[in-house]
Amino acid sequence: MTEVTAPPAQGNPDRGLITALRGLLARFGIFLLPPALLLLGGAISPAFLGASNVSNLLLQIAPLGIVAIGQCFVMIVRGLDLSVASMMATAAVIATGFSGSNGDVASIVAAVLAMAVGVGLINGLLVTKRDVSPFLATLATMILLQGFRFAYTQGAPSGNVPPLFRTLGSGKFDGIPFNFAILLVLATLFWIVLHRSAFGRRVFIVGGNPVTGRLLGIRSDLVTIVCYVLSSCLAGIAGLILSGYVGLVDNWVGQGYELDSIVACVIGGVSLKGGRGAILGALAGAAIIMVIANEVLLFGLPIQIQIIIKGAVIVIAAALYARRT
Amino acid sequence: MKQETNALALARQWLVDNSSLIGVLVLIAAVCLVGALTTDRFFGCNNFLNVYEQSTDLALVSIGQTLTILTGGIDLSVGSLISLTSCLASGLINGDPDRVLPVAALVLALGTCVGLLNAALVIGLRVHPLIVTLGMGAVLQGVTLLYAMGPVGKVPPNFNFLAYGRIADLPLGATIAAMLCILVALLLRYLPLGRQIYAVGDDDNAARLTGLPRTRVLMFVYGCSGFGCAATGLYLVARFGVGQPYTGVNYTLASITPVILGGTALSGGKGGVIGTLLGVYLISLVSNLLNFMDVSKHYQLVAQALIIILAVSVYVNRRRAV
Repeated sequence: MTEVTAPPAQGNPDRGLITALRGLLARFGIFLLPPALLLLGGAISPAFLGASNVSNLLLQIAPLGIVAIGQCFVMIVRGLDLSVASMMATAAVIATGFSGSNGDVASIVAAVLAMAVGVGLINGLLVTKRDVSPFLATLATMILLQGFRFAYTQGAPSGNVPPLFRTLGSGKFDGIPFNFAILLVLATLFWIVLHRSAFGRRVFIVGGNPVTGRLLGIRSDLVTIVCYVLSSCLAGIAGLILSGYVGLVDNWVGQGYELDSIVACVIGGVSLKGGRGAILGALAGAAIIMVIANEVLLFGLPIQIQIIIKGAVIVIAAALYARRT
Repeated sequence: MKQETNALALARQWLVDNSSLIGVLVLIAAVCLVGALTTDRFFGCNNFLNVYEQSTDLALVSIGQTLTILTGGIDLSVGSLISLTSCLASGLINGDPDRVLPVAALVLALGTCVGLLNAALVIGLRVHPLIVTLGMGAVLQGVTLLYAMGPVGKVPPNFNFLAYGRIADLPLGATIAAMLCILVALLLRYLPLGRQIYAVGDDDNAARLTGLPRTRVLMFVYGCSGFGCAATGLYLVARFGVGQPYTGVNYTLASITPVILGGTALSGGKGGVIGTLLGVYLISLVSNLLNFMDVSKHYQLVAQALIIILAVSVYVNRRRAV
């Protein structure tokens, strides 16, 4: 057996190496992009790679990274969560709904998580029990949240964010932003959940082949619902952090994050057809988006170019991944 | 006796085939009933003509959207394309009556071209339309904002005839939209291209294997959707008298609701434009009624979301039962 397969590999060692390299590049090439973009930025303006700008970059990446983790779970089970941005804004509005002192932090977090679990449950139940397409189900909850938010704030939210959120959202320790530390903790936690736990295995099976999942006795509905709940909860947390970063709250905190988080996942190799994806890829995608956004400003290009690049990047990334499979 | 049962079976078959249309009609009747009971201003020729007039924009976008959804795709670039075309129309005309016709023609051609580009990307890159049009939407919004950050240009005063003009008491824009809809409905039913649209949506692979001109079908539906967006953009300029860079934002999602209310399946291959048109009228009626009942705009959003959720849940259930 080995004798049969060995000769071609020996006869052409270069080809084996090239194939292996190509495989590595396909798998890890995405992680070369953020450093490459950073170096490009540094080549054009030295200030770009300065400690303060890098630290600011980390600060900006954190909320998107947190949302992208949740989006990654949902996309692996063949879903899509358009309600994340609306959930973020709702969390931000809730954060200002109390007296604005640190004593309220516990009740704010509890209220946001309760709300997020409710939203995730609605999404998940509509998708699994009623067979509604994820796109429509999460779209409906997005509008629903928006309507309730506007009705609650009468279009003009007021009030203050507790100082603790301000610290978590914009404070730094030795140049490392607190919110980036939160991202690292959450990323590690959910990396273990997705890639090293029995639940994570089930998530991949439900997304990759639901029929197999059912035959194996996996409660695929439950797994899917948990993924949507996770996504909403992470969006809620990101909304609280972002409200602390922005400082003042309006009805649109996190606007555009639904598109950005999906783009981050697609760039990071999470398949739109489900069953494939990784936390690290999604995070790399989030980093790429934020670095590009930062560089557009650095190069003195009009800010509208950001939107154009984002749109082009998502199509190109999806096309590249479609070719490969 | 035998003939009678045959007739009964036929009637039942007809009811099943058109159940979604009948569903919308029943809902419309229910809304009218509630309206008539709550306020005496609701049930009247004048108000209905107003509702008809206000449905123009949604009808124009939704017809194209129905076609893309029938092929199993979707067009998420409609909102940005409407914003772009309305800004361009108003900015290029800039109050000059002589430029109205050439600019209108140019804008309609541009909308169609963007639609064709969407289709070309879907075919060439083999990426799902959801992603292609989402990306295209972002690109178009960026281009729109590059062109204008705020309200731009103006149109000659008589341009608003398109939006407010009435011919024999019938609103012009709304009637154009309804005519277009009937035209598309006839095309879907009687032309080979129409049947091919259903075939591609029903089973893309089978359609390709049987040698259907998939490229032509997709080019046609996305081109139509782009054309509809440009028409909506022109209509909005006529209505507001100026183009705004965010004027189309809500239409992306709004254009999908009537399609689903009208019984077109998101998975493609089932439904039609007449249902969509009825769905548009239903939505206009509901928002008109909510206005009469003094419901705030915020709760109207909630109502819209609940309608989407109810509609999709109910239709899905029916499809499962069959």
